Amino acid sequence: MAAVLPVGSDLSGAMNRFLKTILEKDIVDAVLMPMKVPSGDSFAWIIMSDSSIVDDAEAMAPVMPVQGARALRSLTRKGEGSIRVLALMRPCEIRAAIELSKLGQVKTENLILAAYDCPGAVPMDSFVSDPSSGEDLFRKMLAGEDVSAGEVKPSCTSCVEFSMTDADLHFGHFGLGGTEVLLIPGSPKGMEILEALELPADRETSIWDEAVRKRREKQVASRDAAFEETGENIRGVQGMLNVFADCISCRNCRAACPICYCRLCHFESETAKQDPNSRLDSAVTRGGISLPADRMLFHTGRMTHMSLSCVSCGQCSDACPADIPVAQVFSFVADRTQKAFEYSAGRNDGDPLPLRSFMKSELSGIHEMVSDAEPGGHAHE
Amino acid sequence: MPDFHPRIIGFLCNWCTYAAADLAGSSKLELPPEFTVIRVMCSSRIDHNLILSTFYRGADGILVAGCHPGDCHYGEGNYYARRRFALLKKVMETLDLEPERLELRWVSAAEGNRYAEVVNEFTDRIRKLGPSPIRTSTRL
Amino acid sequence: MNSIVMKQDASTAIRELLAYLLSSSRVDAVLTMRQVPETGSCDLGLITDPSGMVEAEPFLPVMTANAGQALSSISMSGKRIAAVLKPCELRGFTERVKREQGSFDNLLTISSICGGVFPLEKVISGDLEKLVPRYIEKTARAEAPRGLRETCKACEEFVPMNADISVSVTEHGSLMHLHSDRAEEYTEGFEGERIEARADQSHIDRMMKSRSAAKGKLFQSLEKSSGLDGLVDLFGKCVGCHGCSRVCPICYCQHCDFESINFDYNQPYFQESLEARGALRLPPDTILFQLGRLTHMSFSCVGCGMCSDVCPVSIPVAGIFKKTGERTAGLFDYVPGRDSEEPIPVMVFKEEELGDIG
Repeated sequence: MAAVLPVGSDLSGAMNRFLKTILEKDIVDAVLMPMKVPSGDSFAWIIMSDSSIVDDAEAMAPVMPVQGARALRSLTRKGEGSIRVLALMRPCEIRAAIELSKLGQVKTENLILAAYDCPGAVPMDSFVSDPSSGEDLFRKMLAGEDVSAGEVKPSCTSCVEFSMTDADLHFGHFGLGGTEVLLIPGSPKGMEILEALELPADRETSIWDEAVRKRREKQVASRDAAFEETGENIRGVQGMLNVFADCISCRNCRAACPICYCRLCHFESETAKQDPNSRLDSAVTRGGISLPADRMLFHTGRMTHMSLSCVSCGQCSDACPADIPVAQVFSFVADRTQKAFEYSAGRNDGDPLPLRSFMKSELSGIHEMVSDAEPGGHAHE
Repeated sequence: MPDFHPRIIGFLCNWCTYAAADLAGSSKLELPPEFTVIRVMCSSRIDHNLILSTFYRGADGILVAGCHPGDCHYGEGNYYARRRFALLKKVMETLDLEPERLELRWVSAAEGNRYAEVVNEFTDRIRKLGPSPIRTSTRL
Repeated sequence: MNSIVMKQDASTAIRELLAYLLSSSRVDAVLTMRQVPETGSCDLGLITDPSGMVEAEPFLPVMTANAGQALSSISMSGKRIAAVLKPCELRGFTERVKREQGSFDNLLTISSICGGVFPLEKVISGDLEKLVPRYIEKTARAEAPRGLRETCKACEEFVPMNADISVSVTEHGSLMHLHSDRAEEYTEGFEGERIEARADQSHIDRMMKSRSAAKGKLFQSLEKSSGLDGLVDLFGKCVGCHGCSRVCPICYCQHCDFESINFDYNQPYFQESLEARGALRLPPDTILFQLGRLTHMSFSCVGCGMCSDVCPVSIPVAGIFKKTGERTAGLFDYVPGRDSEEPIPVMVFKEEELGDIG
C-alpha cells in the first residue's frame, strides 16, 4: 500500500515540492539531492537545510556524475551526528549505500534513504558535450518513450534493480502516466515521514506493480544478452587482454566505484609494488612486459575484492577514459560471485557480507581433485 | 612437455599441513622438487591478492592447505579461508583463467601420506597443464 | 655535435638502434611504445628480447601513460635501460629523479623533436593507422597535423632538454644527435654516417611560431576561469575521481593528502556549514583539491597533458595547470625538467630573494 503524491505539470517538480515540504515542516533537518552545477553541464550532490534552495535542485538528474553512496560516505564516514537527512537517489545508489553501511563506511541511523523508479541515466561524456540534448533524452526516458539503447548508460539498459530497493521510502511513478507518484514506505522510518505529513498509505499499487514487472522482464532479457556477450569476450588471459587492451591504469574505475572505499588501494600501496629488480627479471623471463605494470592483476584483484558488493551502477565505465566496458565485465562477474553465495548486494535483509560470515557445512564441493575426497586418517578423529 | 618444470607454490598452515609436510619428509616419502613451500600461520592468512600476485609473479600452480574444518588452531580461520577461496575460484572460473591451477586442501598434521599424495597429484596436474599463460605473456 | 645520418625513416632507424643495443647486450631492456597486434592497440613496452623489437613504434604519436612516470621505479633496478621518451616525458622523469623516484645512472635516454600526440580517443577508435602517415609528413615540414591534443598544440618545449640522444626529422632527412659520452659509447659500432650537425634551427623556429600562437589562444580561452566563480565554473563538474593526479608524473605521493583522513569531516563540520550557508556540496572540497594540487606541483608541471586525457568530464585540466605552472615556476626562474641538478624551487632559498612579496 502507498500514499499518493499528486503531480502537477512535472514529475520532478512534484518530488521537489515534497522534499521542500518535509524541510519546511522540520520533519528532517536536511535533504541531499542533485543540483545543476553553475556551468550547466553536470549535476552535483548538495545537502541543503535551507528549503528555498530546493527550488534550484532537481529531484531526478539525467546523469550520475558522483555515485550518491560516495556522497553519503563523505557525510557519515566519521560517525553520525544529530542531523536527520533524507537522501533522494537512484536505486543503485541506495543499494551501494546499504553495502557501505554493512562495510561500516556509511552510518544510516539518521539517514532516510529514498529512491525512485529509475529510467536509467545519460552517459556522462555525452551529457557534458551536449547538456540540452541530454536533458531532452532524459525527459523522454522518464516519460517511458522509446530511446535508442546506445544513448543510455550501458549498465542502465541491463539494470534489473531499477525500482523498489530496500529504501526507507520509494517514489513509484512507472505506469501512472505522469499524473501521480506513489509514496511507498519501506521501513518504519519511511512510514514516520508519511505519518508526519498526514499522508495515509491506503492506495493499492497493482497498476504500478504491473508496470514494474513488465519493465523488469524486458530488462532481464537485455541483461542476459549482455552477460552472454561479455562472457564470450572475456574468456581466458587473451580475452581479458582484448577487453582491457586500451586500459592505461589510471584507475578511475576504482575511484568512481562506490564500493571501493579503501583510502589507499592495495594495488597502489607499497605492498603491491614489485621491487624494480625483480620486475626487470620478470620482464627478462617473459621477453617483455607492459607498463604501467600489473594492469590485469589490478582488475582481477578488484573483482575478487568488491564483486560481492557490486551494485552494477556503471560508474566505472562512465569514468573510464578508454571506453572499456568495465561495468559490463564487473556486473557479469558480480552476478556469478553473488549467486555462488546466494547473496544480493544492496539488500537490507539482514544478510551479512559473505566474506564476514560462514556456515560450517558448506562449500564441500570445492575440492574436486583427489579421488578420495573424504579425508582419511583425520588427526583429531 | 618433458622439459617443463612448473613452479608451484604451496601455502601451508603452520599447525596442520606444514607439520604433515615435515612428517612426509621424515617418512622419506617422495615429493616433487617443483613444489615450493611457504609456511603461513593459518590458511585464512591467504588473501586474494597474495594468490593473484603469486600467479602474476610467475607461479604455474598454487596449493593452499590447512587444518580440516572444525580443527582450526584459531577456531574458525579455515571457514573464512574456504569462503575466500570459493570466491576467488569463482572469479577465475568466470573469466576462464584456468581455475584448475588453484587448489585448496585440508591436510592434518598426522596425514603425511595424504600430504605426499595431494602434492604429487597436484604437481602432475600442473605438469600436464603446461606453463601458465599469466606467467608467459609479454602483455601483462 | 656528433650526429648519425639515418638512412631510413626515424622509427626504423631507432628500432634498429634499440635492437642493436639489446642484442649487443649494451642494455638489458628497452622502454618504447609498441603495437600490440593481437588487440590492435598499443602500449608502453619494456622489451628485453630483441625479437620483440619488431613491435616497437618508438615515435608513435600517442601517450598511453607518461613514460617518465612508468620508467620511474624500474630505472632504479640497477640494470641498463634504453628509454625512448617524448620531451615532456623526459622532463617528467627528470622531476621524479629530483624527488628520488628515479635514476639516470644506468639509463640511455632517447628523445626527439616532438610533433605532439593524438588524444587517447584516437587510439581507442582505431583511427591511428590512418592518422600516422599524414602526421609524419606534416611534422617533417614543421606543420601542425590536425587532431592533436590541445596541450600538444600549445607546447613550446618540444625540443628535448637533456636527452642522451635526440632525433630530428625534417624534409631533408633524419639525424640522430649524440649529446653525451654515454650516447657516443652506446652507439659505437652502430652503422651510419657520422657528421657534425645540429637540429635545423629554422625548422624549430617554424614549429615554435605555431605553438606560441596556439598557446596564446589556449591561455586566453582560460582567462574566464579565474576568480572563485571562474574556478567553480571550470571545476564544478569535477567528479572527484582524482584520475588527474594518478596519471601525473609529478604527483608521486603514494597516498594523496586529499584522500587521507585529513580531509574526512565529522558531523559538527557539516552541521556548522549548513547553519552558515544553508547548503553544501558532497563530497566536499572539489575546488580545494584542485587548488591544493596546483600549489603542490604546478611549478614542476611539464605540461604532458595526461590529466586532461583521463578526465572523464573533459575539464581542460592540463591547460590550467600549464598556465599556472608557468607562473609559479617563473617566480623562481625554474624550468621543470630542464636539468636534474637544478634543485626543486621549494626545497631551497636565497636570503636576498623575493623581497616584500606582500
